[in-house]
Amino acid sequence: MLRHAWLLARKDLLVEFRSRTAILSAVVFTVLVLMVFNFGRDPTAIAAVDLAPSILWVTFTFAAMLALNRAFQLELENQALDGLLLAPISRSSIYLGKVIANLAFVAVVEGVGLPLFALFFNVRITPVLGPLMVVIALATIGFVAVGTLFSAMTSRTRFAELLLPVLLLPFMLPPLIWAVLATAALFAGRPLSEATGWLRLLAAFDIVFVTLAFVLFPATVNE
Amino acid sequence: MKLLKTGRWITAVGLVLLAAVYVRALAFTPVERTQGMAQKIFYLHLPAAIWAEGAMILVGVASIFFLFLKDPRLDRFAEASAEVGLVFCTLVLTTGPIWGKPIWGTWWTWDARLTLTLLLFLMYVGYLLLRGAVTDPGLKARYAAVLGICGMCLVPFVHLSVIMFRTLHPQPIVIKPSAPSLPGEMLETLAFSFLVFTVLWVGFVIQRYGLSLVREQAEPHA
Amino acid sequence: MPENTSYMVAAYVITAVILVGYAVILYRRTLKP
Repeated sequence: MLRHAWLLARKDLLVEFRSRTAILSAVVFTVLVLMVFNFGRDPTAIAAVDLAPSILWVTFTFAAMLALNRAFQLELENQALDGLLLAPISRSSIYLGKVIANLAFVAVVEGVGLPLFALFFNVRITPVLGPLMVVIALATIGFVAVGTLFSAMTSRTRFAELLLPVLLLPFMLPPLIWAVLATAALFAGRPLSEATGWLRLLAAFDIVFVTLAFVLFPATVNE
Repeated sequence: MKLLKTGRWITAVGLVLLAAVYVRALAFTPVERTQGMAQKIFYLHLPAAIWAEGAMILVGVASIFFLFLKDPRLDRFAEASAEVGLVFCTLVLTTGPIWGKPIWGTWWTWDARLTLTLLLFLMYVGYLLLRGAVTDPGLKARYAAVLGICGMCLVPFVHLSVIMFRTLHPQPIVIKPSAPSLPGEMLETLAFSFLVFTVLWVGFVIQRYGLSLVREQAEPHA
Repeated sequence: MPENTSYMVAAYVITAVILVGYAVILYRRTLKP
């Protein structure tokens, strides 16, 4: 199953990178958001470090939403989904492949966004880089797992681009809040033990929802 | 249709009993010392909150059974529970801030319980929107079930956040491990109110279920 | 004891409006689906 998933992910990613439009627009968007946040605040009134966690996570969330919106659109545009379903691969492979592709996409955007963020807002992330990456990884996996599942459903509806964020919102908010809280604890130089509560919640969320998404995905594509 | 009639009668009884709750809560229950009259909002707010969340759990459970058993009655029930849940959730979101303003000094705070109720509201809205956006009935039921299960599974996580986070919201005084710390008469009023809200929930769900049934029968499917 | 009767009234009224209102809406919807 893993091999199939990997092949699918490769196919999706190759398509993405050949056209490059999605990745470029996501990166440009990230830079824009960061810049807007920077010019939008009064540097004398609010210290960067207070807003920093929120800014970082808003940026990442937008990037993840962009990635998810593209995910199934591609398939639908070419009727490729039907072809995939006929192929002798398990439904779970399709899901896993999509998730891997989406994760890769978001990871690239985050990989560009994080250093830019540190640069623009003068935040010292190197001392907490390890735990920070764990937080980012856990939160991203959560978003992408649920988002991929939901985009499988919404892409066949009339108002797909509007419906997906609406459906996703209640599921993104808790991990987002935990991530922001954990990041804030890290940036403020608080001892690691303060962030572990949120990290544990993030990990539990991921375990539950990734499993759930695997189990439920076939129900969204079975005829 | 018999189902609708039953639902209407139960709802009517529920509404009459609601009036009785009002009378009991306002005239025959002692006034709380520190909060004054505003505390009486509690007798409506808590039962509504229990059912707002309970309805979501029922949506989730019905959805799980639906995915296994494929029985359309389960899907109809889930839809009904979701709509009624939305109504009760709206109730919680309106009475809550009205209670909060005189007691906490603010209409809203990002306290974990309030956030949970808001999320619950968004989940109900999302669930009903998804149902509205899918035209094929088979697909609609399956998609709704998937979303319903996810929604139900999210609820415990937000509760965990409640526990982890020191908040402004009143700590549980009724549903907690040790005995309820509410004085006798207030507890009775609360219990009565909860009973009435349950009756209302049942009446509403039966009618809403009946409505789905009638609609399905009116449009013959190809 | 604080005098906040108006809040209580507001909440009780809104609750009645929502519950009775929904009952009425349901009743009318089920009359002619």
